[in-house]
Amino acid sequence: MTSAVSIRGLTKDFAVGIRGLKLRAVDDLSIEIPRGQVYGLLGPNGCGKSTTLKIVLGLVKPTSGSTSILGDDAASAEARRRTGFLPEAPYFHRFLSGRELVGYCARLSGVREDDIRASVDRALELASMTAAADRPVGTYSKGMLQRIGLAQAVVHDPELIILDEPTAGVDPVGSAAIGRMISAMRSEGRTVVLCSHLLGQVEQVCDRVAIMDRGRLVLEGSVEEVLARRDRHLLEVRGLTPAAEAAAREALERNGALLGEVSHPRRSLEELFRELVTGSKDA
Amino acid sequence: MQSMRRIFWIARITFLEAVRQRLFSFLLLLGAALAGSSVAFRFLNFGQGELKFVADFGFGIMFLFGSLLAVVMMAQLLFAELDNRTAMTLLAKPLGRSEFLLGKFLGVWAVMAVFVLLLCAVLGAVLLSRASELAALAEEAGRTAPVVDGGGLVVFAVLQWLRLGVVSAMTLLVSAGARTFLFSVVAGMLAVLGGQLQWLAQDLLAKDDAGVFQRSLAWFATRAVPNLQQFNIGDALVLDPASVPPGAPSAAILSGFLHLTAFVVIACALFRRREI
Repeated sequence: MTSAVSIRGLTKDFAVGIRGLKLRAVDDLSIEIPRGQVYGLLGPNGCGKSTTLKIVLGLVKPTSGSTSILGDDAASAEARRRTGFLPEAPYFHRFLSGRELVGYCARLSGVREDDIRASVDRALELASMTAAADRPVGTYSKGMLQRIGLAQAVVHDPELIILDEPTAGVDPVGSAAIGRMISAMRSEGRTVVLCSHLLGQVEQVCDRVAIMDRGRLVLEGSVEEVLARRDRHLLEVRGLTPAAEAAAREALERNGALLGEVSHPRRSLEELFRELVTGSKDA
Repeated sequence: MQSMRRIFWIARITFLEAVRQRLFSFLLLLGAALAGSSVAFRFLNFGQGELKFVADFGFGIMFLFGSLLAVVMMAQLLFAELDNRTAMTLLAKPLGRSEFLLGKFLGVWAVMAVFVLLLCAVLGAVLLSRASELAALAEEAGRTAPVVDGGGLVVFAVLQWLRLGVVSAMTLLVSAGARTFLFSVVAGMLAVLGGQLQWLAQDLLAKDDAGVFQRSLAWFATRAVPNLQQFNIGDALVLDPASVPPGAPSAAILSGFLHLTAFVVIACALFRRREI
């Protein structure tokens, strides 16, 4: 089976200034994104993530190399018909209602007129936007804008969904809701490519990650593979007294192991927030 | 069929966005108010016929405000999509760049239709009302009563709509390759000025003593720049249809349509190469 996204030897140079000096945004990048997984594309600002996404979506032409989506050339209409895209900080026509916006996007994506209503309802439900669907987009909060953006990205039932910073500016509750939507898409068999700076969220929802720096791929693999430190182990101990700690240290040393650090486990700020804020546990 | 549907939806949303803009409401209301009150300025007629002055005044306002609206709106609606990155969202769908650009153009041209229609309706009402007053006076004095030709007004409205379509298409062409909104507006207004002065190139081309370079330049200008003056037959069409040379409206429509089509096609070709 072909990959969901195949990027081979991709290079992109931008001409800068009057003399046309070249700025290399993406440098010989090769990535294969398998189908049915959530794939995280990470890296600092200016590392070439967005340029890579734009090339994959056919919005920018590469200097060299090739990209394909589900076996089709990335620039083809067929590839885009099978792809949904949510840009970073999406902006939509403020005078349209959420339902009208998603319907408009469905029509541009080739959904048949007879199926528009059902497709729009399904996408709004997936994005938890049914209740606010008839309000003008101009009245939406940041989180709602992201969610309606997600609805327009999935309204034509795409096999591949590309999300660029889907949780940027969204509070932890909304962010967790978007994380659950991504997991739901994976369970429906879709491939999700996620670009994000929120590493905690990426770690939670992604199956594989790629890290880019200065246009190059510096690391790629499954989240388990890249995060595991095979030379270290973690023991969770309850009721540890100083005497028990000293005994454990001695026992470990006797068996050729070294106790590195003893500290208290921490919960994340997000876990604490969700524990304390009303309704957050269910969000 | 799918392509037509997508173009229709882009045009529809563009139209809905455009008619909500304050610039449209402002220019439409100001234009209608000036056209409606044109009879009050008839003392400025410099010896021309009263109805001719009213017609010229109204047609001038329609072209001036219409051109401003066409240039600013075309550039603004395209750059708003590019700057807000809605174009990125839309073009990531199976929507061709030519479809997107054609939809934007048709949306703006539809706005121009509303503008021309409303201003022509106001002007037609003013002209008919004043003509009936003048007809009563002429009857008393035993003179020939002036007439306002309704059919001529319709032909004039079509010509104005086409002229504003040509202006919109010129601005679309500039915007498709330009980097900034301001450049598009300035270049678009200069293109309108060029179109108004195109007859200078025609005169130069007709001169026998012009050099090869001048003649080549004039030849190119007469082909590339539309002659916007050829649409200035409004007063004759409405007040004295017999004085309009036969075939003049058809020639203007054909020429305008050819230029409009050429500009849109070149704009699409330019936009296809643009990085979003």
